[in-house]
Amino acid sequence: MDESTLIRRAVNGDTAVWEPLVRIHQEAVFRLSYLLLGDPDDAEDIAQETFLRAWNHLERFDTTRPLRPWLLSIASNLASNRRRSVGRYLSALTRAFRNEPALPDTEEKSLQRLRANELWKAVQNLNATDQQIVYLRYFLDLSVAETSETLQIAEGTVKSRLSRALEKLRNIIRDDFPVLSEGQEL
Amino acid sequence: MMDIEFEKQLRTIANGMEYPRTPDIAESVMVSLRSSTRPRFVLKRLAWSLTILLVFLSSLMLIPTARAAIIEFIQIGIVRIFPRPVESTVETIATAIPDNMPPRTATPGEPLPSLIPLLENIAGETKLANAQKTAPYPVLLPTYPPDLGQPNHVYVQDADGKMTILVWVDPQQPEHVVMSLHFIPEGSWVIHKMEPQVIEETEVNGLRAMWAVGPYPLRMRNGDIQFERLIEGHVLIWTDGDITYRLETDLPLGEAIKIAKSLEPIP
Repeated sequence: MDESTLIRRAVNGDTAVWEPLVRIHQEAVFRLSYLLLGDPDDAEDIAQETFLRAWNHLERFDTTRPLRPWLLSIASNLASNRRRSVGRYLSALTRAFRNEPALPDTEEKSLQRLRANELWKAVQNLNATDQQIVYLRYFLDLSVAETSETLQIAEGTVKSRLSRALEKLRNIIRDDFPVLSEGQEL
Repeated sequence: MMDIEFEKQLRTIANGMEYPRTPDIAESVMVSLRSSTRPRFVLKRLAWSLTILLVFLSSLMLIPTARAAIIEFIQIGIVRIFPRPVESTVETIATAIPDNMPPRTATPGEPLPSLIPLLENIAGETKLANAQKTAPYPVLLPTYPPDLGQPNHVYVQDADGKMTILVWVDPQQPEHVVMSLHFIPEGSWVIHKMEPQVIEETEVNGLRAMWAVGPYPLRMRNGDIQFERLIEGHVLIWTDGDITYRLETDLPLGEAIKIAKSLEPIP
């Protein structure tokens, strides 16, 4: 059964089809929440809340549109609300960085993880709007169209915001995250 | 061109990101859906109830006195205030204070009657830290008056939007509530307050706010959940974003606004 059929059945009240839909999208929703909040427990809470909220408001959802951007949009709003509690956000980030990654399988993997983690830290120097767009495009690998749906802005606006965010990120990396530039043309 | 290369490198690096293992969200979501009333279908039932109610109200609209009483209400956030019937309360809705009410600049009046029996019936008592963890919005604490301290009771109601209630009691008379602060997110909560004696429009940080002076009955409803009580204190209501704030206190308006303006995230 394809996703649009599942969604239509869910809109008609078929609870059973919500489970496979959650399974399809839970990883993306959890990961975006984790990137935005820096804490796996908070990310799990937000992801769960996202799917419950989506279920409760499914009648408002346009079934001709893809589900993932809508879910990510809900998750992003919920995570932003939670982040406004500055103390909690900072403590969550502290916890996240205190937890060193598990021992790597290979030196190459270790380097990849280190660089990815450094990039995540670099992105956190951007404002919340720029962070969102960078996470969606490069960490979750959404297309411009999906990013546009998620943020509910025009595709042209996605491109212009991305361009500005990348410019800032390039400067941040150059000044504060030299490990990301080593041997690269970043 | 530079951007394209930069984007390519970002994507490559981001692909190496190590995420925590994704928990089984589907399982927990389905457990929640199965164990709770299915709000979407509650809403459908509610819609039918509203339809019937509307038919009933429409018939009442044919009667002039009933029409005046029904259509006159003030909405702020999810709170709907029904003043006294228009025929008798035109002056009451203005800013005048009735003779039997203390002036708003007066020192605080008698403490509110005990809320404890009501509070004991409210599910979801928790600790402040847990409330902040649970609520998908910042739970704010007043920093005014400076000696207020943390709330004595904290509740999080989980029903299609988590409502947080903070309660401060009189340290000398712990059975008396001196102040409560509600955080009510968008959702299906509906609060009706009937016939407060004074309703005054004011502002909190530039946001529209309403000040209602009791006593009056209060009815809170969310789907099948409902509770009522008689409020004898005063209430300041304002909204900021998706949250409706409701500050219940026996202090005068000026003090209530100072408290509302002093809200800060939990340190």
